[in-house]
Amino acid sequence: MANLISRAFGGLNEVRRGLATVFKHTFREPITKNYPDEMPDLAPHFRGRLALTVNPETGDHLCISCKQCERVCPDKCIEITSHKSPETNKLELIDFKIDHGLCMFCGLCTEVCPTLCIINTNDFEMADYSRESLIYDLKKLTLSQDESAFYFDRKEMPLPKPKPAKPAPAAAAGAAAKPADAKPADAKPADAKPADADAKTVEVKKPEIKDDAKPEVKTEEAKADAKPEPKAETKPEAKTDEPKADEPKA
Amino acid sequence: MFSNGDEIFKISRLTIVWLAGIFTIVWMVCWGLGIALPMLLTSQLGDKAALTNEILRAATPVIAILVFIPINAMFMVLIERRALALWTVRKGPNRVGPDGNFQTAADAVKLLLKEDITPTGADAVMHTFAPILFFAPSVFGAVPLLAAVTNNHPLFHVLNLPTGIFFVLAAGALPVVALVMAGWASNNKYSLVGGLRSAAQAISYEIPLVLSLITVCLMAGTLDLVKITEQQAGGILNWNLLGGGALTGLNNALAGGGAKALATSYFMGPISYVCAGLLVISLIISFWLYLTGACAEINRIPFDLPEAESELVSGYNTEYSGMKFAIFFLAEFTNLFVVSSITTVMFLGGGDNPIPPYILNNIPGIPQMVAAIRDSYFCSTLHIINPETFFATLWVIAKVYGLVIFAVLIRGTLPRFRIDQLMAFGWKRLIPLSLIVFIIVVFAREFVICHG
Repeated sequence: MANLISRAFGGLNEVRRGLATVFKHTFREPITKNYPDEMPDLAPHFRGRLALTVNPETGDHLCISCKQCERVCPDKCIEITSHKSPETNKLELIDFKIDHGLCMFCGLCTEVCPTLCIINTNDFEMADYSRESLIYDLKKLTLSQDESAFYFDRKEMPLPKPKPAKPAPAAAAGAAAKPADAKPADAKPADAKPADADAKTVEVKKPEIKDDAKPEVKTEEAKADAKPEPKAETKPEAKTDEPKADEPKA
Repeated sequence: MFSNGDEIFKISRLTIVWLAGIFTIVWMVCWGLGIALPMLLTSQLGDKAALTNEILRAATPVIAILVFIPINAMFMVLIERRALALWTVRKGPNRVGPDGNFQTAADAVKLLLKEDITPTGADAVMHTFAPILFFAPSVFGAVPLLAAVTNNHPLFHVLNLPTGIFFVLAAGALPVVALVMAGWASNNKYSLVGGLRSAAQAISYEIPLVLSLITVCLMAGTLDLVKITEQQAGGILNWNLLGGGALTGLNNALAGGGAKALATSYFMGPISYVCAGLLVISLIISFWLYLTGACAEINRIPFDLPEAESELVSGYNTEYSGMKFAIFFLAEFTNLFVVSSITTVMFLGGGDNPIPPYILNNIPGIPQMVAAIRDSYFCSTLHIINPETFFATLWVIAKVYGLVIFAVLIRGTLPRFRIDQLMAFGWKRLIPLSLIVFIIVVFAREFVICHG
């Protein structure tokens, strides 16, 4: 009997505590946001739609058709068509297709890319009416110069080095080693080594960025039709972030 | 701390504006039909208008209720959604109209325009009658309450029954039949299980509910709702919640009676004091028993097993759509309102002010204000409302909607019972407890002067 009474009071006390807890929520800000009206604050490394960047300064396409991303993709949703240019003896990109209906946004392709060409943008609104329209081709994937600059800034990626204007050494190397088997060995020393080094620095940087929690970084979805505004808005903020990122280094 | 001031402001504005709107409309309808029109007819036609006036007076309360129920249900759905959103740290409806305040109006329009489907194999007649039978008791069951909550206003004299609470309880037991009917007639096993669960649950929880109300009637010595309300007048110590008159002696002593008042009420000395304490505890337990039983009776969370979404699709109203579903929905919220009104009348003193008159009359300005309202043109000539009814109504509104909001808070907190837990809780805990309380009250009230 005493046990029963103590259990009853214990239970009532639990109910009272629950009611008090719920009532205290009256004074809490709602967690939900008015999503279509106000966009969520996304982290810089949010893995949204895939896109290909161009060099923000010169506008050159950064893809070197190394097909690393195609190889590493677990879903096999990337399809690269390229051919070997007869003049420079380098691969030239013809088409780049990503089936976003298959993609699982793991981000492996962006990690493996030697030239920081393929990136995850912050755009996540990709709903469409058919599966076919989710297959993005080269034209749809390539970002404009402004958008590329925005994402290079935002993800704090090192800017790509301008392409060494060296038609002569390349041609010489090409002449020296004509056989097709030699093409990776040939193409890489010339072009990709500096890029590889860059990629390493990015990887070193990443943990630092994670440590530096930056809640005030405002996300703007850089849609293809509205490129000037987000750039204008976010650039000063990104600049103010830079010293923060530098502090731990110094 | 008040980081959520915006939402709190929205919900309070909604409550004040809607309630003021609802009750002004309903009261103007009552006044127009019951007072203004008869006055006009008498001045024009003389004695010939007597029969018409009688008919008008009898029709007034019914029309008032019928006007009140849909607006009130719309308001309650909205306030429930907003309050739940507040307590589950979400945003409530915010799309339709300013701050989503027209959401329920839009829902109502949608429900009324939807196609009314009777499933194949369903018993069409039963299927149609079930929502009506579900809704009707909440209308005519609420009728005797009207006289009690308006401080026995002359307009609602006609509704007062000598067996008031008995009638209300009898009406309140009818919807169970409707739920079983709806479940059976839908030709759907989920509906049937929902209906049967509802029957089992209602039968189990009717007993503690009625026993707790019987306790109150025992203290009051009457079943008449108006008399029960009048007994509780004069401050919080007279309310049935606090001992049903067991503390009246204390109240009288505080009011100026001194030790003499104490001695007359607690005539047996220490035994009386102990019994008064027992009565207070018993009636507080009774109050919670009633709230629990009522929650189960009107199928609200945590007792919403008949329409448990995760177990039965939607319970007894799975196969209903359009108008019929709207009626079920309307009746559920009206039931919540009726149950809160019963609690207010039986335990919380109806329209009584919790502050006793001996304090209230000493606050400068209050008696003058009441007198000024009574002498004003609106009260003395147009008879729109007298101060007694006005303040009583304000207190009733505050108490009833306070209980409604409390039910919403419970809904936001407690999870649903399992069916065996529900049965065990009802039969093994609540019914013995209510019987114990009943017996304690039977004996203890002999040693204290109570209301009855």
